[in-house]
Amino acid sequence: MRIIKDTNINFMSQYKLGALLSGTVISLGIVSLILAGGPLLSIDFKGGTLFAVHFEEPVNINEFRSTMSNVNIEGETFDFSKAEIKLFGSPKDISVRIPYMDEEPDNFAQKVISHLRDSFSGKVSELDSDFILSIEKVGPKIGAELSNKAVLAIVSALALILFYISIRFEFNFALGAIAALAHDVFVTLGIFSIMGYEISLPIIAAFLTIVGYSLNDTIVIFDRIRENIKSMKRLTYSEVIDKSINDSLSRTIITSITTFIVVFILWLFGGEVINLFAFAMMVGVIVGTYSSIFIACPLVLRLHSKSQ
Amino acid sequence: MSKNLTPRYIIIGLVLAWALLTLWPSVKYQMLSPDDKEEMRELGTLESLENDIIKQGLDLKGGIYIVLEVDLPTLISTLAINKDTKFERTISEVRNSLKENTQQNFFTVFANSVSGNSLRLPRYYDVDYGAKPDDILASLKEQADDAINRVLEILQNRVDQFGVSEPTIQKQGNRRIIVELAGIQDSDRARALLQSTAQLEFCLVKSPEVTNDILSQIDNLVKGNEQLESLVASINEDYEDDESELSVSDDKTVSISELFGEDTEASKDSSDTSVVVDQNIFQERPFSSLLRALGNNIAVPEKNLYTVKKIINKQEVQDKLSLGNGQFLFAPDAEKFSTNEGIDEKLVYMYYLEKDADLTGGVIEEANATIGGQGSSAVGQPIVLLDMNSEGARTWSRITGANIGRQIAIVLDKKVHMAPSIRTKISDGGTMIEGFAGMDEAKDIAIVLRAGALPAPVDIIEERIVGPSLGADSVKRGTNSVLLGLGLIIIFMFVYYKLSGSIANFALIWNILLVLSVLASLGATLTLPGIAALILTVGMSIDANVIIFERIREELRKGKSVRAAIDGGYNRALTTIVDANVTTLVAALVLYQFGTGPIRGFATVLFWGIVISMFTAIFVTRTIFNSFTDRKGLKKLSI
Repeated sequence: MRIIKDTNINFMSQYKLGALLSGTVISLGIVSLILAGGPLLSIDFKGGTLFAVHFEEPVNINEFRSTMSNVNIEGETFDFSKAEIKLFGSPKDISVRIPYMDEEPDNFAQKVISHLRDSFSGKVSELDSDFILSIEKVGPKIGAELSNKAVLAIVSALALILFYISIRFEFNFALGAIAALAHDVFVTLGIFSIMGYEISLPIIAAFLTIVGYSLNDTIVIFDRIRENIKSMKRLTYSEVIDKSINDSLSRTIITSITTFIVVFILWLFGGEVINLFAFAMMVGVIVGTYSSIFIACPLVLRLHSKSQ
Repeated sequence: MSKNLTPRYIIIGLVLAWALLTLWPSVKYQMLSPDDKEEMRELGTLESLENDIIKQGLDLKGGIYIVLEVDLPTLISTLAINKDTKFERTISEVRNSLKENTQQNFFTVFANSVSGNSLRLPRYYDVDYGAKPDDILASLKEQADDAINRVLEILQNRVDQFGVSEPTIQKQGNRRIIVELAGIQDSDRARALLQSTAQLEFCLVKSPEVTNDILSQIDNLVKGNEQLESLVASINEDYEDDESELSVSDDKTVSISELFGEDTEASKDSSDTSVVVDQNIFQERPFSSLLRALGNNIAVPEKNLYTVKKIINKQEVQDKLSLGNGQFLFAPDAEKFSTNEGIDEKLVYMYYLEKDADLTGGVIEEANATIGGQGSSAVGQPIVLLDMNSEGARTWSRITGANIGRQIAIVLDKKVHMAPSIRTKISDGGTMIEGFAGMDEAKDIAIVLRAGALPAPVDIIEERIVGPSLGADSVKRGTNSVLLGLGLIIIFMFVYYKLSGSIANFALIWNILLVLSVLASLGATLTLPGIAALILTVGMSIDANVIIFERIREELRKGKSVRAAIDGGYNRALTTIVDANVTTLVAALVLYQFGTGPIRGFATVLFWGIVISMFTAIFVTRTIFNSFTDRKGLKKLSI
């Protein structure tokens, strides 16, 4: 069986189409990012409290919210009704995110939870282990550190990759690859912003994996270019690139399909905790495949004709 | 390619045997019933088995992950002697500065603040004559490093006695400690165990006259201060609101003034339901009006606790307290009391104590939790029995002898557990603490007292708790996703590449087994992101085979023989595979370097998944291909 027969698509002449498409998506993302005042960061980076609880029967979110408006902790009354309250994968599970407060009472998440337990006494399991799904609390100090680390991680990964490709190929190829990567991360970041999804620590891991995956794809094509340049001296640079993309197109499509299948399954069945990670990967697989052909290769071509 | 494939088969066989051997304990463990496990635990064989299995991360098993940081400002302040207001001011300045910009180094900020306030360090620290401020700073730094190691040791000790299976306690950097407690969900307990400095103090309770005096002084302060007055008034407003609804009049409870022998008008009948401001004395004594009398002691209705604490923490009130060398401390928990009308009210005891402890926990030799026996004041209640060393026993005997009839407060971590009246002189150092919420708490406190006091308080700066049900759910969903993904890929590869696809599938299953056995033998932890990486590996590792197969197909289309096509395909694919995978390896390594916990789990699986997929694609499948072509002299390849 063959999905992709011998193709001879003139990709390099279509670079304008690619530029237009990417430009549009990235611009939309940037507009959304500006409107939202930057990427939506999770408590991992901003500090705060996030907890999820499980009820024995579905709970009305509005009722839940009004319960949260009057929480008494050691004589001090808190209004958490403005906290981010949403369903956590099922109508019986609810997650609450409370931004970091100066001078939080000790153990206050647990106290809010016991307030909920009292308020919904009929719908809550006796056992805490069945009621509390998770509690996460990150201090602002850790949050700031993690942000620095995440940025440092992405930057150093890019630097190392630039270095490796420069050695194995040429510097132009390295620039092309890095541009494709930056493109992928920006598109994913923009889509996350448009969808209103949060950037958390696992999402940073997903970004780095996208970086790895997208490069994998780019390098397979670069490798073909390197090989074809030697054997096809009569073709122009642009024709060699087109030929190389076509040669490896079958592999590109099949690997993208297999990888997409697994992340799609993860997205569908992996559960609430891993859901956004899988979503980022899904976007990444598509964008990474696209960018190898429509961003990395045209840029290599440009840089090459400039240096001639 | 050499004709003789035997060495290759031997290598493949050995690797396979090794993989199955390392995975066997995990399989065996999975098959054990809870009863079997209990039996093995008693025999002591469970632990060695648990060492060999693939460890599950807290996000899968459920548990608590806590990052603690040593409170350096407090440590440095504790180390100081002859502290004065100038010193205290410097410390609080440093504290504020660190709060504003969390990324600063404590010692840099401290040094700046010291020179900014022209604080003369040698005055405050016990150093050799003529020591330079820099030397003192260096020595403080050393003591801080030493403190974290002691904290680590003490916490290890506490957690060991707490009885959790496989706790991890490790230092992160110079100031932090990461604690992971699997299978524990009661974070209150875990926090108390870790955060308790275990500072035990015995402080005399000030006499009622002195207490009354300080209360009136605070009343006067509140009266003279608009801000504080409005704070109390806001509670009074609540009271009036309630009054209109419930038509209640004055507060019924005996006021603090009554207790201390002052006449008040507040003795009419009433039924106060929610707010406990004694209205008649509110104007006169705004602070006292927030309090209640309970026997010989003072208590604060839980509703008023926040306001009371806020007033006490005001600088002007603190100044008054330090003039009188006293401190207000509270009981650890609220207790329910019924008024005459049968209305329950939650009250927290408040004590006015001597600021300086007469005796501290350093003298404790032994602490045990038990149930109070007949004849004691806590029959059937959980108590902790203390034994002191000879020096402690001597001091204790002197204090109890000299203060018969007075109350002495037993203070643990700045909370008053009890304040019994001294009836007789205690000369053997044996003492009993009561006032625990339950046996668990008494046990935990005995543990922290035995393990010793922390040299400095620790702050919890990060806490993640995963409940067992969420963890179990993640495992189930993760496993299902892996199996489903694997199944679909296997079908796809078979349909697309036929027999060759089956060879790739064989390699794929191998791949997963090998990744798991590497995890088991490295003692690495499988986390939920790790499972995600495993799924990703399934999708991505097939890539190496796809690259090879597409090359072989190309060679075949050029009209090469099967054998030549296979050789050509593999040879030409090799550099591509290596180049393409190195970059993902780089990403995985960077992630491992920068990530913690679950992210590291992801990076580990991703890394090994890629390394192993290169091995299986390049070495294992090729051997299989060659053995086919060798044996039959294939004319046609199923690809």
